[in-house]
Amino acid sequence: MSFRALLAVWMSKFVTIGLKIMGRGATSLPGVIAQRVYLLLPDRLLRQIDTCVIVTGTNGKTTTTELLYAMLHSDDEPWLVNRGGANLIQGILATLLQKTNWRGRLTVKRVLLEVDEATMRLVLPSIRPQVLVLTNVLRDQLDRYGEIDQTIMLLRNAAWGADTTLVTNADDPLCVAISSINQKPVFFGYAPMESTDETSVVDLVSGNQVRDGAFCEKCGALLSYERYFYGQMGIYACPECSFKRPELSFAGRVLDAGTAASQLCVNEYAATQDWRPSEDREFLVPNPLKGLYNAYNLLAATSAARTLGVSPSRIAEASKRFIQPLGRMQVFPGHPERILSLIKNPTGADSVLSTVAQDAREKMVCFVINDNFADGRDVSWLWDVDLEVFVENSPSTRYVCAGTRAADMALRLAYAGVDRLDIKIVDDTEALLLVGNEEALPVYVLSTYTALHPLVSLLTHAQPKEFRGKAVSAS
Amino acid sequence: MNRPLRVAHLFPELLNLYADRGNLAVLRARAVVRGIDLEVVPIRLGEPLNLAELDMVLLGGGSDKEQMQVASMLPQYQSDLHYAVEAGMPMLAVCGGYQLLGDYYETLGGDLVKGLRLVEMYTKAEPGTRLVGNIAIECSSIPGVVRQTVVGFENHQGRTYHPYLPLGKVLSGYGNNGRDGLEGLHHLGVIGTYIHGPLLPKNPHLADYLLTKARAFRGVQEPLVELDDTLEWRAHEHVLQMLGISKTTPAETSQPSESLA
Ligand SMILES: [Zn+2]
Repeated sequence: MSFRALLAVWMSKFVTIGLKIMGRGATSLPGVIAQRVYLLLPDRLLRQIDTCVIVTGTNGKTTTTELLYAMLHSDDEPWLVNRGGANLIQGILATLLQKTNWRGRLTVKRVLLEVDEATMRLVLPSIRPQVLVLTNVLRDQLDRYGEIDQTIMLLRNAAWGADTTLVTNADDPLCVAISSINQKPVFFGYAPMESTDETSVVDLVSGNQVRDGAFCEKCGALLSYERYFYGQMGIYACPECSFKRPELSFAGRVLDAGTAASQLCVNEYAATQDWRPSEDREFLVPNPLKGLYNAYNLLAATSAARTLGVSPSRIAEASKRFIQPLGRMQVFPGHPERILSLIKNPTGADSVLSTVAQDAREKMVCFVINDNFADGRDVSWLWDVDLEVFVENSPSTRYVCAGTRAADMALRLAYAGVDRLDIKIVDDTEALLLVGNEEALPVYVLSTYTALHPLVSLLTHAQPKEFRGKAVSAS
Repeated sequence: MNRPLRVAHLFPELLNLYADRGNLAVLRARAVVRGIDLEVVPIRLGEPLNLAELDMVLLGGGSDKEQMQVASMLPQYQSDLHYAVEAGMPMLAVCGGYQLLGDYYETLGGDLVKGLRLVEMYTKAEPGTRLVGNIAIECSSIPGVVRQTVVGFENHQGRTYHPYLPLGKVLSGYGNNGRDGLEGLHHLGVIGTYIHGPLLPKNPHLADYLLTKARAFRGVQEPLVELDDTLEWRAHEHVLQMLGISKTTPAETSQPSESLA
């Protein structure tokens, strides 16, 4: 390692110590400073990794990464992971620096990285992952900046080593289009029972429509769907050419959706590749999460873990112990009960809303919409959320709007058919604590990214003592 | 009127990037609450336009790739739309749709993508930053509206140039090209603009102007009933505030006489 690189590592260590003395927790500041000193530091550290698994995609990265980490990590075989959605280059660097010694050597062999799609461009040249998990590629937000097309190009043109296995979503035509270049893609997909089995289709009937027509990446024709799951995900085929949803290696369906006993039933199909088990098998994984979109995350993590040779029993164990990342349908017990969830783009918001709609209780729904850089400055995405469907299915719901773009959200609700008298705008998020008290109704708080962490602390502190520390993920 | 007011939404399967359905939802809701029947007619790329059945046309934006796809099929619509413009049919074209109204779009690589040639206008993708952010304009080209500001968000690489009246003067933001301080185009019934957000929810005066024009095109001259637009103006004012533009001194806001709720 060059002197400059070493200097950068040392700087980051001094900053970390300084932050500790000042009582500040982990931030990306050490990473930011280290990279100021030596721009190529991420490359120098990434190159030292022996075994690397990368999770990328538009939605579900953080949950998939956390699930996969729980399945892979053990005291005997420790993995390093970037937590809490620190998926930009500084966050990744800060994570690696935690396990870099004073001589500039990485002291862990195995690294699991959540990487933002746009950051893949910076990471891929330095590292050849054993497994790359691509959760989905949703056009609706990033495409506004032309980045999705760039990401597709980038992933397609990436120098795929013979040693990289792409684990990706067969139900998403964009993922499948990207995978065409990979030598051995592993496809997972949703395999609902016939419509008689209500538990497995509970998410599917809640009215989510395909966002936009999805087009064949090969010939440009409008794909025809036998079935939609969510977003552009479903069972599809091109009417003009041979492009269609590929054969699955891992087929999942949810049993007892929305209950504490919910499980993901996984069918694993033997393939010709020798790295995979040679026989078909079926196994159950406890499903601690709400919503079809989370079932996809669990299926993605399970498929990746199996591809890496983790046993079904260990996967099931990990999933049982799993604690959901903050603010993903996180329940704060109390009076009223509050449930917090991140929304950041139309497809994700639709999924969250369909899960909220399944809660048959009368309820209040708060939207906290910010337009800071990390939220996306442009709030027009609110108009692509299928609020009309939600409003129609939840007639007795009352709404509160907060955040820098509260007024935009209120207007959106009004045009979605909510009576204007049932929409309240509050000036600060603290006022949200007053919501639902009088009515003793459960309160759903749906928030964009920059408001999420402040809300976690706010809601935690607002809990009565007897409930403290009992924030749990919904089950 | 023996048939509903009809708005053609051109190529919704491709040009739907900036939540154009919000513009349609607003037009529809503001018509329905006044007892005006309004129908949105989606026209997919390749399907014919039946002009005699239409009162307004909406053209949205898409990604570069989708816009190229649309451009390749435009010639078949050119004469129809040209006739519609000359006849004074109202037309709203936003972002990419706005660019498609002109002669051509020149990409960074120097390729020319031909447009509809409804107006003499061209757009050039110039090197440099994308023009992105909240925007407010002073809209002098529309007579009789309750406020003169129009607000929203813009996001474009292309710089647009034309000799017509703009939709307004930029108060904050970039507008057509980031140079001449002008935003959009207003020529006969055609309004072209880079402003989305979407455009109409926070600019109810524009929505009503378009509705009035569409009705007039059908031969109905009655003025529209005023609505309670408190929420609309609150969201509108909020953008002005974020941009540091003090409250404009528009014509008096009229008293609401009917609630949209
Ligand atoms: Zn095809």
